[in-house]
Amino acid sequence: MNYSNFTQNANKPFVSITGQDQESISFILSNTDLSVANAIRRAMIAEVTTMAIDLVEFENNTSVLTDEFIAHRLGLIPLFSSDVDTMIPFTSRECSCQQYCPSCSVELHLNVKCDQESRSVTSNDLISVHQQIKPITSESDSGILIAKLVKGQEISLRCIAKKGIAKEHAKWSPCAAVAFEYDPHNRLRHTTYWVEDDVKSEWPVSKNGELEEEPAEDEPFDYLAKPNKFYYNVETTGALKPQEAIIAGLKVLQKKLAFIKKNVEGIAEEVGTGGVEERMF
Amino acid sequence: MVMQEPAVQDENGFDTYVNGGVPSTTGPKIEVVASNESDPGAATFCIRDEDHTLGNALRYIIMKNPAVEFCGYSIPHPSEYMVNLRIQTDGSISAVDALHRGLDDLINLTSHISSTFQDKVQAFK
Repeated sequence: MNYSNFTQNANKPFVSITGQDQESISFILSNTDLSVANAIRRAMIAEVTTMAIDLVEFENNTSVLTDEFIAHRLGLIPLFSSDVDTMIPFTSRECSCQQYCPSCSVELHLNVKCDQESRSVTSNDLISVHQQIKPITSESDSGILIAKLVKGQEISLRCIAKKGIAKEHAKWSPCAAVAFEYDPHNRLRHTTYWVEDDVKSEWPVSKNGELEEEPAEDEPFDYLAKPNKFYYNVETTGALKPQEAIIAGLKVLQKKLAFIKKNVEGIAEEVGTGGVEERMF
Repeated sequence: MVMQEPAVQDENGFDTYVNGGVPSTTGPKIEVVASNESDPGAATFCIRDEDHTLGNALRYIIMKNPAVEFCGYSIPHPSEYMVNLRIQTDGSISAVDALHRGLDDLINLTSHISSTFQDKVQAFK
């Protein structure tokens, strides 16, 4: 295969969507390498920017839960983060402000006093100053439980939500779960099953197996075969729509590559000079 | 996106990468760590602030180039946030050119996946 052929064919993977709903999307990526498929998976899990509560200032907490316990729970509440880069241009490290400001953070308030016998404090009680960036809501549930109060107890606090990526803390991950599978019949023998009696009954083939031909009983092992078809199911926390998380993941990869490309410009003359290590000694 | 443009510089003027809060290495984004003047086709590059996400995909795409005889990557130490990328070509192109080509190819590849994905999502509805 010559190089122009490669750029025409191998550089053109196929995508097909196999299912979609509010929280998740299933798709198949084919005609590409495992390394590329894995890069996309890793990027959308760990490097997509979202908003999450990062600082909590307690004014009053007479609940049975400690301040840090509640602060941790608040951090894990997904906030709507579509188009976060246009609304909040900077992370707090990039921002020129002293601590935080409207261009790198969003403020949220929670002021709840229990006057009834008991009540639940949920993400619906969190009031954001921002129009779009606020705790996720859905018709199907009544908010995410933060704490429970009995008569007379009170929680009153102020939160600062910041932009971040899941490499720093998993609360910034837009993905709740990313299912990733290839070679459902284990034709390539990339995995070894622990078996007592019978592989087929003890390790049922996943649904994706229906889309690939079952290997014949006496089929010889093709040691040159490479995975080519990758099955994804991306489920998000609600911070982003599933398709947004995937597109954002790809964008992260492009930005990383473009930044390296920009920096490669200056190193052409370095080659042949021995490199850093040789020059040092 | 976060942390692509380094915000901090140390006393030597080197960029400091703070990778998502994890204190990272200091130095240029990419540099040549090993090469020989007799053979511009072979070089090892050190890319800071990157990991398997890019390392493996870049290795694959550079290896696809028929002029490249060897391409491999390693993360020399897990607590140093850097990737070493070794490229050896057959001599018809330099290692830097092969890296350039690889970066371009991977950018094209990801934008192709992105646009096909968006088209398919539109069509699925």
